[in-house]
Amino acid sequence: MTENRTRALLHWVLGGWVLLVIAAAFFYAPSAAGFKGESARIVFFHVPQAWVAVLAFCVNLVASIRYMRKRNPLDDARAAAAARLGLVFSVLATVTGSIFANVMWNSFWNWDPREVSIVILLLIYAAYFALREAIPDEERRASLSAAYAVLAFVTMPFLVFVVPRIYWSLHPDTIIGAKGNLKLQMDSRMLQTLLGSLVGFTGLFVWLYTLDVRLARVLLARRGREEE
Amino acid sequence: MPGAESLVWVAAVTVVIWLGIFVYCLALDRRVRRLEEEQ
Repeated sequence: MTENRTRALLHWVLGGWVLLVIAAAFFYAPSAAGFKGESARIVFFHVPQAWVAVLAFCVNLVASIRYMRKRNPLDDARAAAAARLGLVFSVLATVTGSIFANVMWNSFWNWDPREVSIVILLLIYAAYFALREAIPDEERRASLSAAYAVLAFVTMPFLVFVVPRIYWSLHPDTIIGAKGNLKLQMDSRMLQTLLGSLVGFTGLFVWLYTLDVRLARVLLARRGREEE
Repeated sequence: MPGAESLVWVAAVTVVIWLGIFVYCLALDRRVRRLEEEQ
């Protein structure tokens, strides 16, 4: 009961927090120099979406390795839930990036290395679900998906962090430099809003992920009872 | 480029999208909790 109340309280705190972040993104943070009009404000949504996608793919990797070690079906459900959210947030990051590209460079798509690399990453994780759908046997599906997830993750740092730094890109400077150094040269109000948004989006990811895993746990228990 | 009025509109649309996601998650949470309690 107390757990449910704490959980409900956290949900409402998150709801209020994100509303504050939205207000800050549009009315507290100043306009950024060097960008057309107010286009830079999209950074407060685009960067956290990309961050959550990377976080989700990391969770997918951890759950997949856990499945390979312990063969617990719940770990397979955890991996699938994380990959699903990673895919959703990658799509959102791609869409918000395209909107920004259209404002800045008058085209939604510019064949920029960062645009191409995120789409390749999307396709790699979309294939993860194609693989899952193609195998009816649950144990076999979970084993092959876990092995595929490990291979898919190997490409992630390369596509997200390496490729965009090797080639010339239209994309604005990244927050983390090529040598892993922080390049947070932005107005303090913008930085506060960005960090607040990162916290909010991470909270939203945790909420959605736990919901998916709790539902999977219920379904697995129900199936276990039916088989008895 | 968007002026102050457009910025208010974009902010309003963002709030509506967020409230939609929030209400959906709350409803889903309630449903999952009910299923857990039924077990």
